[in-house]
Amino acid sequence: MKYTALVARREYVENARTKGFWIGLLTFPIVIFLMIQVPVWLTEKVAPIRAFVLVDESGRFEKLIESALEKAHQQRVLEALREYAARNVTRSVRSAGAKRELNLPAELDEINEQNAQALETFINHGGAENVLKQLKPWLKPGAPAFSEPRRRFVRVPLPVGIGGNEDASDGKGLSLVASAATSSSNLDLAVLGRELKPYLRGQKKVEVDGRAVELSAAILIPRDIEQKVVRPGAGSPSAQSRGPAIEYWSANVAEGGAGLKDEAERAVNGEIRRREYLARGMDAAVIREVEHTYAPFASLNPKKEAGQETVNLGDKLKQWAPSGFVYLLWVAIFSVTQMLLGNIIEEKSNRIIEVLLSSVTPGELMMGKLFGIAAVGLTLITAWMLSLFGILSWKAGGVSDVAGQLLAVLKTSNLLPLFSLYFLLGYLLYAGLILSLGSVCNTLKEAQSYMGIITMIMMVPLLTMTYIPTDPNGVVARLLSWVPIYTPFTMMNRAAADPPLIDLIGTLVLLVASTVGVLWMAGKIFRIGILRTGQPPKIVEMLRWVRG
Amino acid sequence: MNAMLELQNVTKYYGAFKAVDEVSFSLAAGTICGFLGPNGAGKTTTLRMILDIIKPTSGTITVLGRPSALEVRHRIGYLPEEKGLYKKMKTWSVIAYFATLKGLSRKAAKQRAYELLERYGLKDFAIKPTDALSKGMGQKVQMLAAIAHDPEFVILDEPFSGLDPVNQQVMEEIIRDMTSRNRTVLFSTHVMQHAERLCDRIVLMARGKKIFDGTIPEAKRIIPRRVRIETQDDIAPVRGRSDVLSVRPVDKANGAMQTNGAAQWELQLRENADPQSILQFCFEQRIRLHSFNQSEPTLHEVFVQLVGPEAKEAGFR
Repeated sequence: MKYTALVARREYVENARTKGFWIGLLTFPIVIFLMIQVPVWLTEKVAPIRAFVLVDESGRFEKLIESALEKAHQQRVLEALREYAARNVTRSVRSAGAKRELNLPAELDEINEQNAQALETFINHGGAENVLKQLKPWLKPGAPAFSEPRRRFVRVPLPVGIGGNEDASDGKGLSLVASAATSSSNLDLAVLGRELKPYLRGQKKVEVDGRAVELSAAILIPRDIEQKVVRPGAGSPSAQSRGPAIEYWSANVAEGGAGLKDEAERAVNGEIRRREYLARGMDAAVIREVEHTYAPFASLNPKKEAGQETVNLGDKLKQWAPSGFVYLLWVAIFSVTQMLLGNIIEEKSNRIIEVLLSSVTPGELMMGKLFGIAAVGLTLITAWMLSLFGILSWKAGGVSDVAGQLLAVLKTSNLLPLFSLYFLLGYLLYAGLILSLGSVCNTLKEAQSYMGIITMIMMVPLLTMTYIPTDPNGVVARLLSWVPIYTPFTMMNRAAADPPLIDLIGTLVLLVASTVGVLWMAGKIFRIGILRTGQPPKIVEMLRWVRG
Repeated sequence: MNAMLELQNVTKYYGAFKAVDEVSFSLAAGTICGFLGPNGAGKTTTLRMILDIIKPTSGTITVLGRPSALEVRHRIGYLPEEKGLYKKMKTWSVIAYFATLKGLSRKAAKQRAYELLERYGLKDFAIKPTDALSKGMGQKVQMLAAIAHDPEFVILDEPFSGLDPVNQQVMEEIIRDMTSRNRTVLFSTHVMQHAERLCDRIVLMARGKKIFDGTIPEAKRIIPRRVRIETQDDIAPVRGRSDVLSVRPVDKANGAMQTNGAAQWELQLRENADPQSILQFCFEQRIRLHSFNQSEPTLHEVFVQLVGPEAKEAGFR
């Protein structure tokens, strides 16, 4: 035992000193940090200002579109406020009763895509400023100031020299737009569209707050919009014959610019329908009420406890987090068994093995290696988990909701204990195979050609990694779970989906049994193979060693 | 005299190939024994069996009174034939690691490693990784690792191969240092000069069999004594003597220069013959001698004589 410990100690110390180990150790936290931080940076700082021009010759929709965009913006403000409140208000006032007493705005809890009422109430009651005033006494000490989300779309005036906007001396940008829309009533939209093209293509820039930015979109509404409205029924012109009523120009439809188009389209068509209702004799108040009528929808998960069935971000993370762990498991097992292989080959190729075997028995040597490298692996995954917790806790309080939710998932689920268990068992199983392989090969090159086969077999869990969470208790998942070399990965993958107990226990028993079997076999092969030189033995010969 | 090592009828088969054939010998404490033989004679296999790294097919091996060397591994040191060290490990740490595997505490092992490195002039390399060492230095370090725990019995497989003359001398010095403290050394080599200089005893193997076992003077007695004479006269009368086994001219191409028409002859004498009587006989026969040399056979000659043509290849090493 003492010698096993000595061998293990050397394996641990020497492998933990290698550059590869430290790179592996540090890469993970860096990747996690970037994964959480980059989206935050992108939305906060790097996201470009999407500037657009709006020319409404009819003069009927300009205000509507602007107010629709404002509403969309206010909704995001409201959402941000809700998160801010959830995070920074002292725990004691979070309950519904306390909120009523405090006169906290109800709309904080009630907004959703269809509840226009809550949003209007919010805007009419003074928006963020008012809510913040009410929240102030209940904020935790040291809570950060609320930062309003940036507007996604900024309206800019027509560039100087286009569409009759010759007056550059004024300098008051937005007023020019208004004049362009109302006074210069004989603008030709076709000409305007042509003139705007260089700006939309990014060849020319417009100015926003003194910065030159690309013009991301142009919305052109013709004077005769009324004639171009398509109405169902006889005698009405088809859309094709009239051509489009409103032109939305943008070089990147796929990107965030699409949101602008959707907002504008919804605002314009909503207004057109509203007028249509009025024209057909409906009461304006009724229309308003109808518009604000909706049935709330919620996604529920039958597996969660009563009263908490709501599907939220946490649930999605819980579904997908196991895949992340499968990947980590794979990387950890793969890199650690590579270390094992490298070590055996080093000792074998320069015959250190003989000196070792004059001091320790092959059994002690093998166990020492097994444990030493296992310790390296455990150090690696422990460091990963600690850094994961560290980064998540650090980021959870601030801007990233994902971090907080993920942290909650990790704390409440059995992912971490399962990860450690499956790492150990998976490592031992693969280590057994690698030890057998390493002991019969003389050079790394020789070993690598065989290693290729093992790697290929090991690839399967990576390929099924993203499929299994979509059908965690399906045939493929269950089948793979019962193949011992895939058990650690597949069961890890299914961990969040509450697999049947028979799968959980049965595969574990099978895995332990096959690990013991493989290690026993590896012991036999190792003892003979380790002193062999020359050609690697045939499988038949190795089987004879195992039997003998 | 207690035996450090005892082999009895040790045989080893690799498949159908008989690598070691009924080898028996024993080694007393405090001796330096050279283990000689051409390539493939079964030396390394025998040494590995002595260390219980591999098991003999039949026969018994007793090391320090025990049936397995592993039982007394703390008292044995081993330097294998192929030399290698952990490349990335620090020099002192390699020596200390092997010493701890032989039972030294980590503290004692570290102290001992530094002590040895200093004594044999490698102190500057103590904290360097071993792949910074030259081949010769690496081999010395490996030797130090083999003896760091001050073993009673040291087995060295080809300790001199690949070393330059200076380092060979250092290696000899290390071996002598050990025997001066009554340690027992068994080393295999191809280079007879080392064996001749160092050994009390030699065991010679060829084709798996032990073909000689004894002291160096005993070995030299195996082949006839020789006398080399140089003369321009006819040496026919010498041929007739009963104590002269053979007379043959020394190969001219071999560098023996003839002066004033004189030829060199080598005479092989019977085992107990006296060279002085040959000299006297030459005077009596009026054979005028330019030179008369009586020389002992070298161990190499003994080796060639015993092993035969196979030794040629070994002799060049």
